[in-house]
Amino acid sequence: MSHEPSPLRDYARHVGLWIVAIALIFVAWELVLVATGLPAYVIPPPGKAIGVIFDNIPLMTQLTSQTLSETFYGYIVGAVLGVVLAVIMAQVPIVHRLLYPALITSQAVPIVAIAAPLVIIFGFGLTPKLIIVAWIVFFPVVVNVLDGLASVDHDQINLARLLGGTRLRTFMIVRLPACIGPLFSGLKIGACYAVTGAVIGEWTASSHIGLGTYLLTANAQMNTAGVYGAMLLLTAIGIGSFLFVVIVEHFATPWRTRMTAPAYFGGNIPPHASTQKQKV
Amino acid sequence: MSGEAGVKLAIRNLNHNFGSFRALNDVSLDIKDGEFVCILGASGCGKSTLFNAVSGLLTISAGQILLDGKNIAGKPGQVGYMLQKDLLLPWRTVLGNITLGASLTRGAHKADREKAAELAYHYGLGDFLRHYPRSLSGGMRQRVALMRTIAAGRELMLLDEPFGALDSQTRIGMQQWLLEIWREMKRTVMFVTHDVDEAIFLADRVVVMLPKPGRIGWILDIEIPRPRAMDCMTSPAFVEIKRQVMEMLYSQATLHGVPGAQPGGLKVPA
Ligand SMILES: Nc1ncnc2c1ncn2[C@@H]1O[C@H](COP(=O)(O)OP(=O)(O)O)[C@@H](O)[C@H]1O
Ligand SMILES: [Mg+2]
Repeated sequence: MSHEPSPLRDYARHVGLWIVAIALIFVAWELVLVATGLPAYVIPPPGKAIGVIFDNIPLMTQLTSQTLSETFYGYIVGAVLGVVLAVIMAQVPIVHRLLYPALITSQAVPIVAIAAPLVIIFGFGLTPKLIIVAWIVFFPVVVNVLDGLASVDHDQINLARLLGGTRLRTFMIVRLPACIGPLFSGLKIGACYAVTGAVIGEWTASSHIGLGTYLLTANAQMNTAGVYGAMLLLTAIGIGSFLFVVIVEHFATPWRTRMTAPAYFGGNIPPHASTQKQKV
Repeated sequence: MSGEAGVKLAIRNLNHNFGSFRALNDVSLDIKDGEFVCILGASGCGKSTLFNAVSGLLTISAGQILLDGKNIAGKPGQVGYMLQKDLLLPWRTVLGNITLGASLTRGAHKADREKAAELAYHYGLGDFLRHYPRSLSGGMRQRVALMRTIAAGRELMLLDEPFGALDSQTRIGMQQWLLEIWREMKRTVMFVTHDVDEAIFLADRVVVMLPKPGRIGWILDIEIPRPRAMDCMTSPAFVEIKRQVMEMLYSQATLHGVPGAQPGGLKVPA
């Protein structure tokens, strides 16, 4: 007999594995220190790095929320831009041919080199940081969605033609959902890189200080515990963003994990004469 | 131009070439309104090409295809067509897949969903309306694909080896289920198969196609009374028809495209 896997136990196992993996990293960190005998001002022990965070909770909260909001808004801009661009490119072949080399070029330019001119153009506000994050995020999204749109089963498109489907409806109902898997692959890659963009943005253009700015200052002051504390928080933002996308994906694509549609996803079946008859 | 009385589909002198390869050679066939016609033939003899032509997916090389007297060659959307692959959309529920035709043309309304649910309940899919296709067996998926074709509301339905991938028990159940639907719905059906038993069991007429070039070899009337139950497959009448069909296919296989003496009682198309 096959049972539907219990989702709760599944989650518990996933979370458990994450905790073990992270704990192992801290253990390895501790062991390296013991083995090499490096002093705390070169590499602080994990306890000290974590301690910096908990000793300065108000400051750390403020820094984290600054960096987090740059990451978040830049990510949204990049993701939306990526999807829109991919859709336009898939629909208009000439745009595709013109833009594809430009896309590749955009990623070949070192991101740090882009940061400086952006500051000159947009000043020290939020804008250049959003652009840098979006710049990093949109690329894996465009490439994945384009691949997805190009690899839609041709028979499926023929079926839509046979059913008399309009171009727009066929796109919305058949082609677009078919690339939702690749879309989320792109979004997950983007989620890991987004925080890097925010840090680079802060390093070149910082009016509000975030974790990236703090990290630079701490480094200059030989405050290694502060450097490592900021690094831990940045890593947490990266992992958090990734997990957030994984959770959104889980709820946005119920057909991958479930047998039946949940109520929030078209699982409502019209009340029916035959239902009543059957129940008698 | 109006159709001949009682003729649903008229195929006139249809030819189709893939490059220099002649896939269909001078195919002419009339299908009567409400008729169940099976197209029987070995793989590669042009059965799917014929369906692609009738459905409008294919731009034919020459000839006419008339539905109710109107030319439909090269115009998709006029007839129902179910391919061997079920092509269910994985992200739509059974109900969503059945109403796909409405969604793609004008948007599925409450009435469409209710009608689809009614169909599904009536034909044994009622417990699966909320299910995603991945949770269904092969037989169930084919049922849903057929319901989708029916719900699209076309009067002529083309079914291309719809049960080809199913095990024999499931297949027999599906054949009876299909006959029940056909009796109740009064649609016109063209059904492609390479299974002799299946063709005879289902059809009013069996059209035997021959390969290289793809063409119609013989057309047989199947005069076994309906409704047909499974046990008719072992009746003397059935066995006699099967013997004739096997003989045709066999003479074809041995004589390299030169049919032998015509067994009595067969009609050869003009
Ligand atoms: N798109 C195509 N291009 C070239 N040859 C094709 C194409 N489609 C089918 N054929 C050829 O036409 C013949 C008939 O194919 P098909 O109609 O699929 O046969 P059946 O459905 O009877 O098995 C085969 O020899 C096949 O190789
Ligand atoms: Mg075929």
